[in-house]
Amino acid sequence: MINANLKSSYAADERVLNNRYKQAFVYGSILALALFTLFGNDYLILIASQMGILLIAVVGINILTGYTGLVSLGHGAFVAIGAYAVTIFGNLGAGVIPAGLMPFVSVPLAVALAANFIVIFLIEEDLFAPWTGGMVGINTNVPNLLGWELDTKREMFGLIAAVGLVSLLAAQNLIRTRVGRAFIAIRDRDYSAEILGISLLRYKLMSFALSAAYCGLAGALFAYFYARILPEQFELALSLNLVAALIIGGMGRTMGPVFGVIIVVMVPELIKVLFGALAGDSAGAGQLRAPLQQIAFGVLLVLFLLKEPLGINQIVDRILRAANRWPFARG
Amino acid sequence: MGQFVQFAINGLMAGAIYALIAVGIVSVYKATKVVNFAHGYLIMFGAYFYFTFAVIVPGQPWAPAWLASWQPGWMVEMRGELPMFSPVAAVLDWVANLPRILLGLAGALVCNAILGRIIERVLMRPLMGQSIFAMIMVTVGLISILSGAAQLIWTADAASVPYIAPNMPIRFELFGTMIFLFGTDLVNMVVALLLFGGIVAFVKFTKGGIAIRATAEDQSTAYSMGISVPKVFSRAWVLASTTGAIAGAILATRNGISPSLGLFGFSVLAIVLMGGLDSYIGVLIAAMVVGVLEAMTQWQMGGGWAEIVPYVTVLVVLIWRPHGLMGQKEVERI
Repeated sequence: MINANLKSSYAADERVLNNRYKQAFVYGSILALALFTLFGNDYLILIASQMGILLIAVVGINILTGYTGLVSLGHGAFVAIGAYAVTIFGNLGAGVIPAGLMPFVSVPLAVALAANFIVIFLIEEDLFAPWTGGMVGINTNVPNLLGWELDTKREMFGLIAAVGLVSLLAAQNLIRTRVGRAFIAIRDRDYSAEILGISLLRYKLMSFALSAAYCGLAGALFAYFYARILPEQFELALSLNLVAALIIGGMGRTMGPVFGVIIVVMVPELIKVLFGALAGDSAGAGQLRAPLQQIAFGVLLVLFLLKEPLGINQIVDRILRAANRWPFARG
Repeated sequence: MGQFVQFAINGLMAGAIYALIAVGIVSVYKATKVVNFAHGYLIMFGAYFYFTFAVIVPGQPWAPAWLASWQPGWMVEMRGELPMFSPVAAVLDWVANLPRILLGLAGALVCNAILGRIIERVLMRPLMGQSIFAMIMVTVGLISILSGAAQLIWTADAASVPYIAPNMPIRFELFGTMIFLFGTDLVNMVVALLLFGGIVAFVKFTKGGIAIRATAEDQSTAYSMGISVPKVFSRAWVLASTTGAIAGAILATRNGISPSLGLFGFSVLAIVLMGGLDSYIGVLIAAMVVGVLEAMTQWQMGGGWAEIVPYVTVLVVLIWRPHGLMGQKEVERI
């Protein structure tokens, strides 16, 4: 939404938050998140943390699919690599590296690993069982930032929210730079981009590595957030979740992942609550619930593709535009 | 050496079924340029329809008795004279099951054809002319819908179904070791290869097949030549879902029936990418190679490693030939 947005210098035009609405929105959301971290109730904190972890991964997918136009159905693997790398490295390095510095070493390692490897199946192999725990999974360790132990969910949410916000802003910054504009050029027409002097191989690879790095970061937070990680948490369903969140939210828009993640986490949760209210906690209800959540998820994805391919972001844009022009014109 | 042959034959039999599954993905891709991620789940529905018509329907109280188990007088007579474990008994068991097997196959074919048609009409046709990306993502959404629906309708419990051919053991000696095969696996392989050949011949020689190929070449030219492109699309989907029904029935007899059958689609997708998305021959070769490699891995390194064989092979092949073994390189004019 750009209205009466006068720029008097190039520097003003090139800022990340290039108008007052964006600035106000970012500062407002920082305030809201801080208040929420302090006063939100435990259940909401749990849900919001799940959203935050997923959000970071979806921002990564957005760089790959939304900005560069490549499709990946395997990014769950990078989340897994991030999660396992942080935990295994944490176990190996225990005692050698002071605990307060551990996350500062192991998280970048996880991110770098995720950016470089494509190895999910090996996690389940017996060969690696001493490190990964095989199908039964491994216990993760508690993050310790310079002596501050993040051992409650509330503290973890603070960290997740901060990292999530920074990663969103970083993505917004990315598409402003030369690299980001090269991604968009590739998405719009790869041949033309090549003629303009953009190396397709280099930039596609870079985009893939960047998105994998975001997923690795999400995986690292995932490992710190939950007490135990299992291979089955990172199967196809997770990769589908990531892509669906992006499509539902809106591809190639900064706020898209945010809306998408809210829907993808809230809809199964709502179905759970509704089912609990209607059918109670009997075993039969539980058997019905999981498939229903799956179907709802697929139907949402298909409906958005058929009816609103630009996602919730587009709907929000439309509402904001109408509000801005209100009483004069709609739409 | 004998063991090698044993595992090679096992691999070829698995490869034939992979090829039959792959033919559905290739047909849809050739006609519509959509990579169908949900094909594995279409197959799973084929398997469940087979299960419904071959096990659930004959088991109902209103179904005639001969449907569940056909026992004419001559068969009872023959069975009485047989010694234990004779191959004739296996054949007789199969003949007794024949009515429900036929009903199951027919039901699976018809229901899956309807399902394929519904998917094409409701989900694919509104997106015609829009970006391919949206259509591919719709098939991704279909994965969730179909697997959820299967669990809702048939529950997630595993079950077993009757074999579609007499299941007698075949033993013979080769290079000093016993080779041990099941009759039903051999018949499955023959059925799969015949169907594969039939579809390739259909696409090559019949009028409908030529229409599919023309549409694949250039949609607007095909339109102007009087080919009804939407009809071609729905024909391709029906073709994919009916072959999927047969493949599903075969898979159900091999692995039992459960919602995890859908995951087969992904390893077959890897095979299709390896063979080249638009080449039947390439895909046949790739399916056979992967089948044999998988059996060899299972023999030498154990079952866990066999799961990753298709993916590793496809990675290696794609690095060497980015369009697959026989895939056509896309020529694009700007």
